Amino acid sequence: MVEISSDVIRGYNDTIILSILMNEPSYGYEISKQIKQITDGKYVIKETTLYSAFTRMEKNGYIESFVASQDLEGNSKKRTYYRITEAGREFYKAKCAEWELTKDVVEKFIR
Amino acid sequence: METIKSYLDAMFANMPNTAEVRKAKEELFCMMKDKYNDLIAEGETENSAIGTVISEFGNLDELAEDLGLEEEVKETREREKTNPSRLLSYGEIMEYLDVTKSNGLLVGIGVMLCIIAAAPNIIIEEMNYGRTTSYGFVLMFAFIAVAVGLFIFSSSRGSDWDFIKKEPCQIDATTADAVKERKKDYKLTHAILMAVGVILCAFSWVPAIVADPDIFVAFMLAAIGVGVFILIYTGTRMGSYEQVLKINDKSTMAGTYGKEDVYINKAATAIMEVYWTTVTCIYLVISFITFDWETTWIIWPVAGILHKILKIVFTKEAVDGE
Repeated sequence: MVEISSDVIRGYNDTIILSILMNEPSYGYEISKQIKQITDGKYVIKETTLYSAFTRMEKNGYIESFVASQDLEGNSKKRTYYRITEAGREFYKAKCAEWELTKDVVEKFIR
Repeated sequence: METIKSYLDAMFANMPNTAEVRKAKEELFCMMKDKYNDLIAEGETENSAIGTVISEFGNLDELAEDLGLEEEVKETREREKTNPSRLLSYGEIMEYLDVTKSNGLLVGIGVMLCIIAAAPNIIIEEMNYGRTTSYGFVLMFAFIAVAVGLFIFSSSRGSDWDFIKKEPCQIDATTADAVKERKKDYKLTHAILMAVGVILCAFSWVPAIVADPDIFVAFMLAAIGVGVFILIYTGTRMGSYEQVLKINDKSTMAGTYGKEDVYINKAATAIMEVYWTTVTCIYLVISFITFDWETTWIIWPVAGILHKILKIVFTKEAVDGE
């Protein structure tokens, strides 16, 4: 079975996470679940990868975290939520354009 | 869930103990818990859910890189390589606590025997209307001989465990929790024994008021002897719990095992640390100035209640979402 190369996907973890945050603020496990669902289970993001991405992107100002004492389903549980910032949206757009280009280039060599 | 927590504790054991790392651990634990609960809700067995959660966890090197902790992690690894700390098992720690406890008892008895060694002589002399007999001296040397025997025995038994003080050692989170539990259970007894010990020593002169001066010395020695014995025993026992809980390297996450009483800020920590010493000073100063010992004891219950209140106000809410 072909498995996804973590080296290749690494550069796009941020893009993937931002894409999910474009819809609404979310929290760790919810994001990882969505990634799994959207990719039909072909990509399962590791917890450490996800948390690393959060800290990195928060430092860069692409996302903001806030603690909610209630999740969206109304269960009372303290969770750290993340929301995308304006800079994050810009970065996402730039990354999308970069991917289009990368894809075009690489595709020319795929037979 | 315990397995997941142990796994995470072990993964983080050698990470530097910083606010960032503590937060990372907490967040990762939250994600793992969410995933575990979800898998269980989907009908997976406990074992397979734990397996999935652990296999999808990833590794901490990546995280260390993003938190800017590569240097610290490397340093800790180097230190571990050149001077590896010995991991003590649960059984070893429990044995160490038992040995220390009974050593505390033996040393306490030994010291008590030394203190009261002169008492039989005084009593015998008193009963013989001032005539000195050799029995008293024989008894005195017998007491001291037994005491020395106890000291030698306990120190030779304790020497098997000297490495705990000399070499870097480590305990895991489960052991730390068990020790913390023991410490919690013993806390009240410790407080009572400490109070009894101090009172016995502080009021050892009271028999002087009722008994005749010579025999009173014997009673005073007895009171001090028993008081000191109690203080040594309970101090050794409590000290061993504290020592074991502090065994892990404080600069790493393992240093957070079994910790309690986390106060909201440095000032609060400082106040709580000197609280009882301050109260004791106030008590002694006021008592000696007024010489009103029958009423000054009121300071203790008041201080006790105030301590409870301060503790509630100053203690941080538990971070673990259990």
